[in-house]
Amino acid sequence: MSDELPQVWIDEATLRKRSRRDFLLFGAGTLAAMAGMWWIAPVSSKKRVLGEHATDALDTVAARLGLSKERSERFQNRALTFDDDIAEALYSPNRTVRTYSKRDVTPLRNNYEGRTPSPEYLDTWTLTISGLAGGKDVILRKVDLARFAQHEQVTRLCCVEGWSAIAGWSGIRFSDLLRAFPPADGAKWAAMESSVNLDGRGNPDPYYVSIDLPTAHHPQTLLATHLNGHPLGTDHGAPLRLVVPMKLGLKNIKAITKIAYVATEPRDFWAERGYSKYDGL
Amino acid sequence: MRALGGNVGDGDFFDIGLVDEIVDCAIAHAAGAQYKYSHAGRMVIYPHMTDADEPAVDVPVVADEPIVEEVPIEKAIVEEVPVEEPIVEEVVDPHAGQRLVVVKHHALVRLSHWLNVPILFGMIVSGLSIYWASPVFLHKPNPVTHSRDYLADLGISIARHVPGATADPSWFYNHFGLGVFNLAGGLRWHWLFVYLFIANGILYLLGLVLGRGYRALLPRRSMLGESLAMVRYYAGVVPMKIARRPWPHPEITTKYNALQRGAYASMPVAGALAIASGWAMHKPVQLWWLERIFGSYDGARIVHFIVMIYFVLFLIPHLILVLVDGWDTMRSMIVGWSERGELGVGGGVSEKTAELLIDATPAPTPDALLPTPATGGAE
Repeated sequence: MSDELPQVWIDEATLRKRSRRDFLLFGAGTLAAMAGMWWIAPVSSKKRVLGEHATDALDTVAARLGLSKERSERFQNRALTFDDDIAEALYSPNRTVRTYSKRDVTPLRNNYEGRTPSPEYLDTWTLTISGLAGGKDVILRKVDLARFAQHEQVTRLCCVEGWSAIAGWSGIRFSDLLRAFPPADGAKWAAMESSVNLDGRGNPDPYYVSIDLPTAHHPQTLLATHLNGHPLGTDHGAPLRLVVPMKLGLKNIKAITKIAYVATEPRDFWAERGYSKYDGL
Repeated sequence: MRALGGNVGDGDFFDIGLVDEIVDCAIAHAAGAQYKYSHAGRMVIYPHMTDADEPAVDVPVVADEPIVEEVPIEKAIVEEVPVEEPIVEEVVDPHAGQRLVVVKHHALVRLSHWLNVPILFGMIVSGLSIYWASPVFLHKPNPVTHSRDYLADLGISIARHVPGATADPSWFYNHFGLGVFNLAGGLRWHWLFVYLFIANGILYLLGLVLGRGYRALLPRRSMLGESLAMVRYYAGVVPMKIARRPWPHPEITTKYNALQRGAYASMPVAGALAIASGWAMHKPVQLWWLERIFGSYDGARIVHFIVMIYFVLFLIPHLILVLVDGWDTMRSMIVGWSERGELGVGGGVSEKTAELLIDATPAPTPDALLPTPATGGAE
């Protein structure tokens, strides 16, 4: 079809000028793209491509031109923040997580960060809640949790690694806890910590994540005590873990020992390791 | 005068329907084609045209007047008319110093095409680092390599032929991705590039509409037959070259042959699928309807991964064919114009569209009597 390939008469000089401009833009774009890629590429990848010496030399040149590693990190973290902002904008308190039937339950792996703690901590376990409207901290024991209404749900837990599992949880609603012990005015975040968490060698390594209060108020955000009808084992965060299916698995902190309501976004175990913070699904 | 460059599609009209074309050309000449185009600087013309084809001097010129009015020829007339030339058949060339080119790609299409190179590179290498953290396609662990993942197996097979490489399951991800144990870095790149990818997709679609390039991508009724002809052609092109037997390119009168049309049209679809399946697994709760479209969370992961493989598989023939097809095709994706088009046929676009494309003087109205032989080959 001739109409797919229109022909035009064009002045030789104009054509030459435009084509030269396009080639220059193309060349400049190629160089810029390569420089940009180099700027944000991991050092290990760069060394694999160009070797140790060339990488160091090029990185020195790049840093002199203002393309330093620090700036690269800041720039890339902005991409994470941007994506988090999109996730936060998408969040609706009225939207519920898809629920499944008990038949759909799949095996749930223990993906504990570090070594799974041994059960001794269970005897002395308490939950400390701070940042409350009453001013005084509250300490809850296992028996105190029984006062709250129990809720059940079968939802999917999505790990940042890409795997997911459907599991049946039961426990108390975070919103019920918030109603029983309301946070102080101005609180926007629920910072949670597990002080029993261990690192890979078995040394204490507290795990800390946070969720925004709108997510904490969501009816499907549970403080779970049971998995698939059985009390939680230490592998899944006995005696109390967070189940927040509208967040990535890494927010579903196991063996919670502290909840603090705070006004500013708290530090986050995974954000300090290069991951995003909001992690809304 | 200059014949078209020797590229894949061009050789064809030496072989196909030669007699018909000579006849067609003769008709075209009689209609005044020679008069209109022959003095253009780099006018493309059939190599088999000879002086024998010259029309009689007194052949009436058809459809000339509107053309003379349309094109800016004042300069040419002013300069050449006063020259006292006794020869009657010498005519004013309205296109002196001009060149007839084919408008192929809108600037936005070109821009988004090249932006896709770093963006898709970023998406794929970071995607592989994400994939490493939890591969989709797994098998029982191999007792020798300890690999349980098909992509890692592929890497091991490649690494065995690479001098000095350690053929282990991490080789693939270290050399085609951002490396193993780099999930956080991979995700960060992926989110950085995905928004660029989406924005670039919009640029591309905009360019397709503004340049009206989408028309060359729409399916046609003749696609199936032409696809088979192209498959037959590609299957035979190398053996026939070796056997030194003629193997004509199927006659293609459109911008793209059916295979190209299918492949290029599938790219925006694949891009949309990649974005949709990506968001389905990125936000399966808030965009729950997207997750349902793909059946499940894992369904979206499988689609996402298959689309990535499709992009890579597209690239292989894409790169081979642009190398085979030659400089004109490559250049046209940078500058937008090509020397290879339907010979002598003015474009069917309005002057305004043509101006939008490369702000050039529009071509004269199409001369229906001119032949329309095969256009370029594959890209």
